[in-house]
Amino acid sequence: MNDLEILIAGVVALMGVGLYGLLFTRNLIKVVVALQILVKGVLVAMTAAGEASGQLNLSQTLIMTVIVADTIVAVVGLAFAVQVKRLFGTLDLQALSNLRG
Amino acid sequence: MTDWLIGLTIGLPWLGALAVWLVGDKREREQHTLAVIFAVAAGLAALALIPSYGDAVELRFEVGGFFGDFTFVPDGLGVYLAAIANVIGALAVIFSVDYMDGENALGRYYAMILLFIGAMSGLALTGSILLLFIFWEITALCSYALISFYNDDPKAVEGGIKALIVTQLGGVGMLIGALLVRAYLGDYQISTFLSRYGELPENTLTIMAFGFLAAAAAKSAQVPFHTWLPGAMEAPSPVSALIHAATMVNAGVYLLARFYPAFEEVSGWTTAVTIVGLVSAFLAALMALVSDDLKRVLAYSTISQLGYMVYAVGVGSVFASQFHLFSHSIFKALLFLSAGAVIHGIGGERDMKKMGGLGRQMPFTRNVFIVGALALMGIPILNGFWSKELILEHGLEDGPAWAYAGMLIGAGITALYSFRMVWLVFFDVPRGEGHAHQAGQMMRIATGILAFGALTTWLLVGSFGEMLEESLPFHGLHVHAGTTLIEDIITAQATLIALGVVALGLLTWWLRGSLGWLANGLRFVGTAASHDFGFEWLNRQIVNITKSSAESLRATQTGHLNWNVLGIVGGLVVVLAILALGA
Repeated sequence: MNDLEILIAGVVALMGVGLYGLLFTRNLIKVVVALQILVKGVLVAMTAAGEASGQLNLSQTLIMTVIVADTIVAVVGLAFAVQVKRLFGTLDLQALSNLRG
Repeated sequence: MTDWLIGLTIGLPWLGALAVWLVGDKREREQHTLAVIFAVAAGLAALALIPSYGDAVELRFEVGGFFGDFTFVPDGLGVYLAAIANVIGALAVIFSVDYMDGENALGRYYAMILLFIGAMSGLALTGSILLLFIFWEITALCSYALISFYNDDPKAVEGGIKALIVTQLGGVGMLIGALLVRAYLGDYQISTFLSRYGELPENTLTIMAFGFLAAAAAKSAQVPFHTWLPGAMEAPSPVSALIHAATMVNAGVYLLARFYPAFEEVSGWTTAVTIVGLVSAFLAALMALVSDDLKRVLAYSTISQLGYMVYAVGVGSVFASQFHLFSHSIFKALLFLSAGAVIHGIGGERDMKKMGGLGRQMPFTRNVFIVGALALMGIPILNGFWSKELILEHGLEDGPAWAYAGMLIGAGITALYSFRMVWLVFFDVPRGEGHAHQAGQMMRIATGILAFGALTTWLLVGSFGEMLEESLPFHGLHVHAGTTLIEDIITAQATLIALGVVALGLLTWWLRGSLGWLANGLRFVGTAASHDFGFEWLNRQIVNITKSSAESLRATQTGHLNWNVLGIVGGLVVVLAILALGA
């Protein structure tokens, strides 16, 4: 296995864990965690893409931007979770949803 | 200099919109004054732009990237439409000073009207298809906001939404066209497209041609998209006069005329355009004949007259269509504004069955209304006569005979319903209650100017033709000089036939008492016409189908994150599978 293949394997693993979490968890905090893992996989993919295309500078710049945005998502999501727990007494998304198809 | 005038023509109304809005609704007098000042100034700028017409780009903003250059070309088609928008816009604003006196939310009203005037000028003057689309949509937005101006009236809100949806549907065809031009020719410029349309594959050009026809039919309220225009009559009368008679609805005809050189050879296109025009002109005339709502009669008559213009493009006479557009916008704005004065004068009643005998109480309005109605009928020497005869003359020479016959009968029905309308409103026995008050000073100024225009603008036919001929390099127009043109119309066989049919139409009204058997025999036509020939029902069906399918698709909206993520992952799998198979 060369470096690139290792990176891609890492991407698939991280994104797989993230997507699995989003697919099967109902807990709001776990959703935020899964989302973080998913985005970390994407960041590794961007590094690999930058390396492969010889534009590492560009990919690093983009990655910095994503990290900032992603942190904000995590912060807002967790603050949201705290408020939800206080107001509704539960973190179960299925129970919280009031949109009935 | 020309670039400044273009900038002022579009920019002044927009600045005015901002100013009126900033002044706030508590200072009504200032709002009226500011709106009139800006609208009149823009009207003067648009008139000053006319002499400097030409086919070169005069104003260019290099936006770059995907958007290309935003260009403005003051060619013949553009400058005169911009002048119509600004001058009639100014008159509508002047009229509004009396008409809208004491209404709430004047800021919203004037801001939307001024925004519309600027956007309409931009639409006429721009040289980029993308920018054309953007201005096209801004006019649709203003039209929606103004139809729904009385937003506590459910009918007004419904009419506005209907107009918005129908014209948006058409707009999509135009956006697709713009993107196709960009994809194949690398540029959004109309001149690029008209000079190099041969490089597009035949199928693509066909799609564009019919897409633009659909866009034009939706905007110009042609069958089968016409149902929004009668609903748009919930708007205040000056808005109906400006947007739904004189300017925005003309944008469709303008579009067809603008792109005619490229689409002319697309097989079946000119026939399709002719049929759309014919069917609209004929059916709408019948609907106008059986309607009792004064403003709806005028709306149907607008559809019908726009049908004449579309028909003229179909038989290859861009000049006749544009000249009729010019005449029509003046006499129809006049009719709408004087109808507004009548409705305002008797306290908001629109049913003609409750009017009658108003001529004695409002003689000025009666006189200007009759001038407009005579022009609509096509009676010499008003401007409607010259332009309509020009269309019928070209129809007889270049178009199919069946279409000509249909248009001719339409002209007869036009005379019939116009006379019926004038009779029911101003003559006959008074059927309404209470007293009608005369039109205000500002109303008289606006309608008086328009009546003068309806009597005289045909004198401009020669210079108008010259302007189009010189500044439209791709259309290859050959228009006779002014006096020859007038001579042509007077001596043409078509004119005599048409006048005969118009006289027959008037005679039918005169002898209506003894023609009862005919009316009874044609009762089913009248019933069908008063039910909009089933198009309204069709509309309703489409709405119902959309609603019920949306209702049944609600099951997929569970609101559960897990299901949504499953959808995303599923989509990803499909895309990956397609990529894998493709590679």
